[in-house]
Amino acid sequence: MIRIEGLGKVAGETRILRGVSLEVEPRTVLGIIGPSGSGKTTLLRCMNGFERITEGSLEAGGVRLEANLSEKEYQRRVKQLRRQVGMVFQHFYLFPHLSVLGNISEAPVHVLKRSRVEVEAEARRLLETVGLGKSALRYPESLSGGEQQRVAIVRALAMRPEVLLFDEPTSALDPRRSNELAVTLRGLVEQGQTMVIVTHSMKFLEDVADRVLYMESGEAVELGATAQILNDPQDPRTRDFISHAD
Amino acid sequence: MNKCRLLLLCLLLSPTVAHAQAVLRWGADPSGGAPYVFTDPAHPDKYVGYELEMVEALAAAMNRKSVFVPTDWQTIVTSLQRGEFDVVVNGLEPTEDRARIILFSKPYYIFQLQLTVRKNETRINSLEDCRARTVGTLGNTAASRLLEKEGVPFKGYEDPVGAYRDLELGRVDAVLMDVPMEAFYARPNPRLKPAGEPFMRGAYVIGLRKGDDALKAEVDAGIDKIVRDGTLERILRKWNLWNDAQLDLRPRTAADGAAGEPKQEEVKYEMTSSSFNWSEAIWRLTRAALVTVLLSLGAMVIAVTLGLGLAVGQSRGPSVVRFFCTVYVEFFRGTPVLVQLLFLYFGLPLVGLAMPGWLTALVGLGLNYAAYESQVYRAALEAIPKGQYEAAYALGMSPVLAFRRIVLPQALRIALPPMTNDFVSLFKDTSVAFAISVWELATAYRELANASGEFMLLGVIVSAFYLLMSLPLAHLARRLELRLQRRQALRAVEAEVAG
Repeated sequence: MIRIEGLGKVAGETRILRGVSLEVEPRTVLGIIGPSGSGKTTLLRCMNGFERITEGSLEAGGVRLEANLSEKEYQRRVKQLRRQVGMVFQHFYLFPHLSVLGNISEAPVHVLKRSRVEVEAEARRLLETVGLGKSALRYPESLSGGEQQRVAIVRALAMRPEVLLFDEPTSALDPRRSNELAVTLRGLVEQGQTMVIVTHSMKFLEDVADRVLYMESGEAVELGATAQILNDPQDPRTRDFISHAD
Repeated sequence: MNKCRLLLLCLLLSPTVAHAQAVLRWGADPSGGAPYVFTDPAHPDKYVGYELEMVEALAAAMNRKSVFVPTDWQTIVTSLQRGEFDVVVNGLEPTEDRARIILFSKPYYIFQLQLTVRKNETRINSLEDCRARTVGTLGNTAASRLLEKEGVPFKGYEDPVGAYRDLELGRVDAVLMDVPMEAFYARPNPRLKPAGEPFMRGAYVIGLRKGDDALKAEVDAGIDKIVRDGTLERILRKWNLWNDAQLDLRPRTAADGAAGEPKQEEVKYEMTSSSFNWSEAIWRLTRAALVTVLLSLGAMVIAVTLGLGLAVGQSRGPSVVRFFCTVYVEFFRGTPVLVQLLFLYFGLPLVGLAMPGWLTALVGLGLNYAAYESQVYRAALEAIPKGQYEAAYALGMSPVLAFRRIVLPQALRIALPPMTNDFVSLFKDTSVAFAISVWELATAYRELANASGEFMLLGVIVSAFYLLMSLPLAHLARRLELRLQRRQALRAVEAEVAG
């Protein structure tokens, strides 16, 4: 469950986000689209504390961030927030000095203090579900881009987050891999995962997103069901963007 | 107040001082130190010399036990002042400039100077003939002062071996030295000959710290005793250093009689390799090598820990911390390590912090190398992409955990080759510790080579020791690097095979 109200972000002189309000229901996927520089990645980074919000509030996984919190309290809550919100980066950022298994079990073992045996068993099960059952001991540099992404997803999942954030997940994938990813993600939603995905691919959105948010110039322009936004946008700005897409 | 604190620190830092009542710690430079005190060529693990025997007799007369502290002639007075030992007994002449900073005992030996030239020399018969030539001598001695006063160009040496060797090689035209040294190092040499008779009279005295008046009275009484009872004469005769001039030292009341009476037991030490005991020398070198190893290991521990702190401070600290880290790095990188060691060794005691030589070398080298290490780590840390931090934070890791588990292991891999380089270099740099009289491998080489004249062979052996220590180190580092690189590939292959 994510609830964002009147969220704004100002960095120096620049206003990056203004008055963004939205909700994401549990077990659903929200897709965010918009032209480059529209603030969609910044919004995503606000959702796990990499960017500090300067107006309004944001609640995810039961942790509430408010613009007017003291810095200390804000950081304390960000720490809690990150236990509930996982992130899969555009470039994955796997740890090159750790094996696939090491990448996945590092945080559960050292942050959640769970037993390594238990964590690794779970990691192997998760790897199995994404077709990487035999790659547990390989190192990131020997994996293909698609494999690396699946490891990054499993790494985030191993922390059992309530919400999973994706930044441009299809940018490194060919159409077939892109389809496979959509299937994987839908499978996770079936198991109860909530997701927010920033992407440029309309095709991918059609496959995975329940609802879509169109952003422009730091504003949430239009939010609706995926089919409605993609096929029958109401706002002229959305219509213009969709007509040029794909 | 200050003095009290210094005393207290001395007590804390050098446990031997605590037994000052029972022992007499005396300092002298044993390198090329015959016949005063030097490495016994027949037993390179032992020191011998007429002054060693004299101090033993003197200490016995004072009801103390003598403890010899090897040191460096050039800095012997400073070492006395910083409390490395209680007295200097090293053929020390009472000069006016020294009198201003230390106390002198009664004289215990009357010496003369002797000019030495090459066998085929015809032009030089006295100091007068040397005005347009260069004369070799020991630095900071009565002989060097005389040459300075007479306006004779001279070259100061660290030890008599070097001076006479250069005379043989034609680098200087004559050497002026105290008779005891001349008798020992020049007279047996067939390629050298004395020019003229011994001249000028001077006295050797024992040097003490200003303020140690009680000890001075004790030492003076002791000298009186060994002069009066003939002990000193017996030692001097044994070493072939007795002459009638020594009679001047006798207290008037007991002026006659004893001369010539004691039994003659002559010593014969030749400065050649034939009598040099190689196995003991190598055992000594091995121990010196161990000191070198421990010094470099200790210094590296300091360098690595402090260097890491500096690197983090310099790249991530607040601006004040950043500033001080940079000042530290630039200071220690930009000034010679030798100067830093001398400062720590001789400068710090002035503000009440006296560390023993080995600790000074260990700390000094550690502080110096920390500056270099910090730059290696800083570069390595900066090479880790920002995404690695973000990925770690996104997984809920704290900055400390992310640094320790994610950033540091990756940075270490980048830093390993330059670190190896620095460690090998530190290894060799321990040789500067010889400037503050730490008995490590380079000091051992100088002393043993001076005792035997075997500069070549010992040089080869000492080099072998250094290589023996640094090569495995380099090898180890290379293997570690390879393992870190290969582990990934190997695991991947293993995984394929297992799968």
